[in-house]
Amino acid sequence: MKGYAGKWLRVDLSTGKISKEEIPDAMKRDFLGGRGFAVKLLWDEVKHIDPLSEKNKLIFSTGPFTGQALPSSGKMVIASKSPLTGGYGDGNIGTMASIHLRKAGYDVLVLEGKSEKPCYLLVEDENVKFVDASELWGKNTFEAQDILEKRHGRNSGILIIGPGGENLVRFSTVMSQKGRAGGRPGLGAVMGSKNLKAVVIKGTGSIPNFDDEKLKEFGKKGYEEIKGKESYEFWMRQGTMQAFEWCNENSCLPTYNFKEGVFEFSKELDGYVLEKLHIDRKGCPMCNMQCGHVIKDAGDQRAELDYENVGMLGPNIGLRSLPQIALLNRMADEWGLDTISLGSCIGFLMEASERGLIPEKVGWGDFEAARKLIIDIGRGEGLGKLVSQGTRNASETLGKGSHRWAMHVKGLEISAYNCHGCPGMALSFGTSPIGASHKDAWIIAWEISTDRFSYGKEKVEKLIEFQRIRGGFFESATVCRLPWVEVSFGLHWYPEYLEAITGNRMGWEDLYKIGDRIYNLIRAYWKREIPQFGRTWDYPPDRWFEEPLSQGKMKGVKLDREKYDQMLSWYYELRGWDKNGIPTKETLDDLGLKEVSKEIIG
Amino acid sequence: MAELKFLGYLAEIAGAREKILVLDKPMLLRKVLPSSFPEKNVIILIDKRVGNLDSVIENESSVILMPMLSGG
Repeated sequence: MKGYAGKWLRVDLSTGKISKEEIPDAMKRDFLGGRGFAVKLLWDEVKHIDPLSEKNKLIFSTGPFTGQALPSSGKMVIASKSPLTGGYGDGNIGTMASIHLRKAGYDVLVLEGKSEKPCYLLVEDENVKFVDASELWGKNTFEAQDILEKRHGRNSGILIIGPGGENLVRFSTVMSQKGRAGGRPGLGAVMGSKNLKAVVIKGTGSIPNFDDEKLKEFGKKGYEEIKGKESYEFWMRQGTMQAFEWCNENSCLPTYNFKEGVFEFSKELDGYVLEKLHIDRKGCPMCNMQCGHVIKDAGDQRAELDYENVGMLGPNIGLRSLPQIALLNRMADEWGLDTISLGSCIGFLMEASERGLIPEKVGWGDFEAARKLIIDIGRGEGLGKLVSQGTRNASETLGKGSHRWAMHVKGLEISAYNCHGCPGMALSFGTSPIGASHKDAWIIAWEISTDRFSYGKEKVEKLIEFQRIRGGFFESATVCRLPWVEVSFGLHWYPEYLEAITGNRMGWEDLYKIGDRIYNLIRAYWKREIPQFGRTWDYPPDRWFEEPLSQGKMKGVKLDREKYDQMLSWYYELRGWDKNGIPTKETLDDLGLKEVSKEIIG
Repeated sequence: MAELKFLGYLAEIAGAREKILVLDKPMLLRKVLPSSFPEKNVIILIDKRVGNLDSVIENESSVILMPMLSGG
């Protein structure tokens, strides 16, 4: 099939064995790429193992869109069995490494085993070798990036971990280009557990498409369409930070560990403040709507901001200064820690301190305390040790009812949207295939524009539609969803692009089916790896059901558990899952997953 | 007085983030907006209820007009 490099590169860090294998056409047809390839490999090869053992595998997976001259196509998916959740874990990242991997002749890189000593992997087209990384181990991701760029060239594709990953912090990420991050569910720790500091990729080849001329023409039109959108100019000024004022206005800003949905100091942090501080822009390759806004942080260094990190390291911990938030965010990037989970963990500790459940005094908005906590978390020391395995684990250790306000689903911390008054979004977090991520479906605007407080079936249907497009198609294509979601770039382009790349004509119904296959396989993976997995894993934290908002226009609002339960039942019914949320034999068989149904159902 | 709040790029089109209007009589929302105001992908809340450009506003109305964000 055209549009693919056609091979995956498999590297065993224990034995040094390197192999290059053909990707079967059936796999391309049934799983498309990216997340689809990743879950298929994990299902086939990673069973009942400790995620931080050498038996786990770390997968870097691109798709047919990766690196094409198409809007925002610089993405890959990083996936593994997650040490944070125990289930399927992945995250996408925009990086030059995606483009180089394909140019080097591979769609997927699979890393297995464990190196005896710290090393990094160097992939230069067909040449693959291990390089000693003793002098890089312990360095932060910015320092190590500089050294590797100096050694291998500034335009090399570099994937790297910081001390957080080396120290096996369960929400450490894989970083690239001093600010790009991927693999929220602890995939940096998986890389660290293999003694692998970095992957450096330099590719010089090209991948023929079915119709390169048409693709070039369509790509050009796509970039032009994006620039012509009426919201484009404003997007370029504020990017995702336009959501800050929007969320505060709609009482869904994460505030004080998700206790509230409005922040009394919101006007000191919103997109208009960002505009005044903005000095530069950063983003992923192949993108003409780059979302990273650089400001001078409180330490007078360049640091990048977007909505998620401002929400979680700002109002969620009571901090009211963008330069201070930017400094915390830069530290997270240097240490290789996920900013969403980090903000949630710090908020958890601040609340524990406020309630007198820990002896340490960590007050809301205490910048210096937050700064010190990041170092402690990255090292897994002191108070940081309590949360370095995430809020679920911390609440299990702390006890005293803290599980009610440990803000996670399935062990993954909730991203920056408070759902006291957003039942559809609460269900989105509840049913996201990696834990509480917003990337698969963000439904808040749709629910506000229709009937915000409805728990109706139509909301569940819309949620599944979003999951099919965002979590199914975009994550497997692999291409960024932001052109569509943020400036309304036409969805009709994507089947056109796919046909020009592969020669296969597929409509959205076909792509939905691929998405459903991927979702069901991920669900089956959770069930196989965690036998007790089921319905109770699909609920957001008790806080949203039990403690109403006390501030703002939505004062008094909370979720209704019985109605949520009904939505969840509809969700299972529409997905073809049983009452416990497990895919039925009929559903799996219909998706061509008979072997899977034999394994989890019998 | 009717209070209108514009979020995101809609503030650029409206020429202000907030407007306070004294209305002689109830009128269609679209009558107080620029002709270039988008018809699609806009959420309109009038006194916390979902409205549209042809909803009637009056003095004491509190109106929020916001883009249909899709949350990153």
